[in-house]
Amino acid sequence: MELQDKLKEAIKQRSLAMTLQEAEKLAGFVGRMPTPLEFHLFDTMWSEHCSYKSSKSILRGFPTEAPQVVIGPGEDAGVVRFCSHEGIDYDLVVAHESHNHPSQVLPVEGAATGIGGIVRDVYCMGARVTGALDLLRFGDPGGKHGAKVRGITRGVVEGIWKYGNALGVPNLGGDVRFHSGYDENCLVNVVALGIVRHDRVVHSFVPPEAHDEQFVLVLAGKPTDDTGFGGATFASADLEETAEKGAVQVADPFLKRVLSEANAAVIEMLFEKDIPFGFKDLGAGGIACVTSELAAHGGLGILVDLDAVPISIEGLPPEVIACAETQERYGLAIPKRIAEDVLSIYNEDYELPQLFPGGGASVIGEFTGEKVYRVVHRGVEVASPPIECITEGIEYDRPSSGTNRPIIEPEKRSFKPVEDVKKMLLSIDGCSRQPVYSYYDSEVQGSTHFRPGEADACVTVPVPGCSAGLAVSGDGNPWYGVLNPYLAGAHAIGEAVRNVVASGATPIAATDCLNYGNPENPEVFRQFKLGVEGIADACSFFGFRNNPDIPLPIVSGNVSFYNQSASGRSIPPSPIVAVFGKMDDFTKACDNVLKKRGNYIILVGERKDELGGSLYYRTCLDYDGGQVPQFDGEKERAMAEFVLRVINEKKAESVHDISEGGIACALAEMVLGTPSDARLGVHLDDAAGDPVSLYSETPGYLIEMKPAVYDELSSGETPPFIRRIGEVVETFILSGGDWTLGLSDIAGKRDSLLERVIWREKTADE
Amino acid sequence: MIAVIQFPGSNCEYETSRVLVESGFESKVFRWNQHFELQNASPDGFILPGGFSFQDRVRAGAVGAKERIMDYIFDCASAGKPVLGICNGAQILVEAGLVPGWKTGKIQAALAANMIPGRTGYLSRWVFLKTDDESRANCLWLSKFDDAPIPIPIAHAEGRFVFSSDDLPRCEENIALTYCDYSGAESDEYPVNPNGSVLNAAGIVNESGNVLAMMPHPERAFRMWHVPPGLEGKWGVMRREFCHSEAIKEQPGPGALFFSSLSDYFGME
Repeated sequence: MELQDKLKEAIKQRSLAMTLQEAEKLAGFVGRMPTPLEFHLFDTMWSEHCSYKSSKSILRGFPTEAPQVVIGPGEDAGVVRFCSHEGIDYDLVVAHESHNHPSQVLPVEGAATGIGGIVRDVYCMGARVTGALDLLRFGDPGGKHGAKVRGITRGVVEGIWKYGNALGVPNLGGDVRFHSGYDENCLVNVVALGIVRHDRVVHSFVPPEAHDEQFVLVLAGKPTDDTGFGGATFASADLEETAEKGAVQVADPFLKRVLSEANAAVIEMLFEKDIPFGFKDLGAGGIACVTSELAAHGGLGILVDLDAVPISIEGLPPEVIACAETQERYGLAIPKRIAEDVLSIYNEDYELPQLFPGGGASVIGEFTGEKVYRVVHRGVEVASPPIECITEGIEYDRPSSGTNRPIIEPEKRSFKPVEDVKKMLLSIDGCSRQPVYSYYDSEVQGSTHFRPGEADACVTVPVPGCSAGLAVSGDGNPWYGVLNPYLAGAHAIGEAVRNVVASGATPIAATDCLNYGNPENPEVFRQFKLGVEGIADACSFFGFRNNPDIPLPIVSGNVSFYNQSASGRSIPPSPIVAVFGKMDDFTKACDNVLKKRGNYIILVGERKDELGGSLYYRTCLDYDGGQVPQFDGEKERAMAEFVLRVINEKKAESVHDISEGGIACALAEMVLGTPSDARLGVHLDDAAGDPVSLYSETPGYLIEMKPAVYDELSSGETPPFIRRIGEVVETFILSGGDWTLGLSDIAGKRDSLLERVIWREKTADE
Repeated sequence: MIAVIQFPGSNCEYETSRVLVESGFESKVFRWNQHFELQNASPDGFILPGGFSFQDRVRAGAVGAKERIMDYIFDCASAGKPVLGICNGAQILVEAGLVPGWKTGKIQAALAANMIPGRTGYLSRWVFLKTDDESRANCLWLSKFDDAPIPIPIAHAEGRFVFSSDDLPRCEENIALTYCDYSGAESDEYPVNPNGSVLNAAGIVNESGNVLAMMPHPERAFRMWHVPPGLEGKWGVMRREFCHSEAIKEQPGPGALFFSSLSDYFGME
């Protein structure tokens, strides 16, 4: 048989995702027919999930450099400078991933392993993980696939709480949105963040000292089984009804918690003894990827002995041992002389073999000067590609084409404020997310200042004793995505920045997860390109360093393609981002709860007639077209600087950004946040009102201010975009001119709506 | 020195140890297999922190209660040293038979799965707690409390105290903390009673008053800045008054009362 035929045969027989051209490239590298292990290793490494082969050329458009950046995209997580406390510098470590396909197939396990994978990425930089966020997109719970959607929603939330709560990492919210475009392909994007001493950032490659001294590879954690075999390939394929459940891994937060404690003890010991090392978590491609990458990125070869790998299922073929994606494992490159000490921390101090049968730490490989990746199984060499081809990437230029949906506004825009606002607040998109948050432990570690919902961003105090506060928020609007893929990217950054700013923090870094359909489809690829451009353009305005040329850097991220159903329907273009902000003094952080009768409501940012994709169009007019708000970067920056100044000077009593549902819903949320024994409300000055002034989602902020403070402020030079629009009153209402919306009847219903629909299987009105 | 015990799967050990230090104590975290080290250190008191020790295998707290390190803690508790179990730590104390402790070492209570209409699983939320004169006089962890209810967070899936029906008449005396609303009014309905606990019990004390098992997390309400800004009642008003004040950083929160009670017991301050 010709080589080409043999390659074709292997691709088919092993259900590989690689193309014939890629298989030929591999055969060229090894100079013969590749072994099964080599096929599976490169099938993973060259999968879209790992190689970014379609997206790489576009992602270069992201701003990734700024003075605070320590490590940008490329390693397991991004690192930026954060604070200094008692003479020690601390960095913030952030990572962002998706676990969409597994969560659609097995929601509980898929979401759990999503959290598991993302926290490993932060742990393996040497950091203490101090928070996690979930950005969830589900189908329409009341639509054609409602029953399945509700089941998946429940399952994903269950996976997150069962895993995340046990791990002891506080959940810092995120967001949850519903759109029928996710009916057959939910999105589970996860973000983790942590703190590491600046002088103790760990890298994911074997250190240069390994050229002069014998280094070994220690595998620590769960014994290897066959779970997740082909997981990365699965993540890069279309979702079929008969999707392989075997490709989803099984998570164990208990083992992970103990393993993390043991890792921390090992890392502490290595730093104290000044011993160089490399550390990397096992994710896609399992042992094969971690060993080859630790070696290749350090310029060395490695000899891996699969017989030394602890295994929980007998008789696994070498390619499964090497490439299975069993959870809760780490690879550690250390000098041979210290191996005994390291193993004893895992196996004796933390008793891993007793706590998890077959678990623990073992030496499974030796780094070599010979630049070859060698794997041996039962005395037979089962892989031997040259090490260069591990780092050698693969890249495609994908064509793009298509146009935005034409902008058509609805013929009539009715305006019945009492009815409209009530409808929006009691819609699946406008109701409270508290039922979801109530499953999450947001306070473990004792550092949480603002829990999800209490302010526009979650705020924590991640370095105990230090006053530096960390604010984090995530965003991405699917309706904007459908109407204008570029503005969806820009507003994702804009909205997350506004949330962070409204809490009083200055953005210092962003991460992204770009969720789209099939990149080989030129229309999808166009959506992707525009989303990246939108994010990049928005970031260029938010550097906040008195130097407009410095951008807000993207330091970590992920691309998730092939988000489509078997019928070929792509999800709405879904660029989803997280923005991280810092405040020097967390006691200045600002919440979004109204404080006192008589205070003024100040509007920051004029309202414009751009209601496309708005909650008002969708909920009150049942209309999903129109002009999405424009993104005015200069203006956004000026507004953010104004809000930060006001908060910093302690002139704001509460702040809320304007997003879905416009001013009306933003104010209602500030009212609904007041305590039940001390309710307040808002009366608007403008007697008339119209859909634009009340419901437009033009970016902006609302600030509650004491009258004297506002009078003093407005007597000086103020930006043109601020004005007083109302006043805090002592009744639980939202009113303006001749209309009054009482909120007593709405509060309870709005709080429990999601619980009734998703968990109790009731309709929204019951 | 107050020892904080880390079981495999504990996850609140460090912040618990930290609030002890901030309360003026020396504190150290001991691993579950460091029973010799613990004994040699001869701590003055113990806290079993929250988490998921041993993966909640069998029942939450059941395996931890059988660990060798618990033998020493059992002896110290019997000798009158202060012991506090928070959340999973409370589950361990119940499984070890230290509370209610009518019969030494016998399991006489249980922490069952939350019973909330229409919902199962984990619940995180701020609730209110109160004590009575008798509990304050008896329990060394509560001496600094007054009649006012305090807000505090819970975060658990199995926090419903239950007793055998024969024990119901006498268990009331051991209930040191009860769930209530911000005004102090009790109700056995969700969310005032957040988990269906018998007699609204949130914390159980032994007869000598030195061992307290409680489901809420005092270490998460230790500073005023931990308290949610939109909370009802007196603490909510105080919290909002601190909005623009740097003093919120050091101002004690409601959870600090447990630790100042402990300081008081040792004659500190």
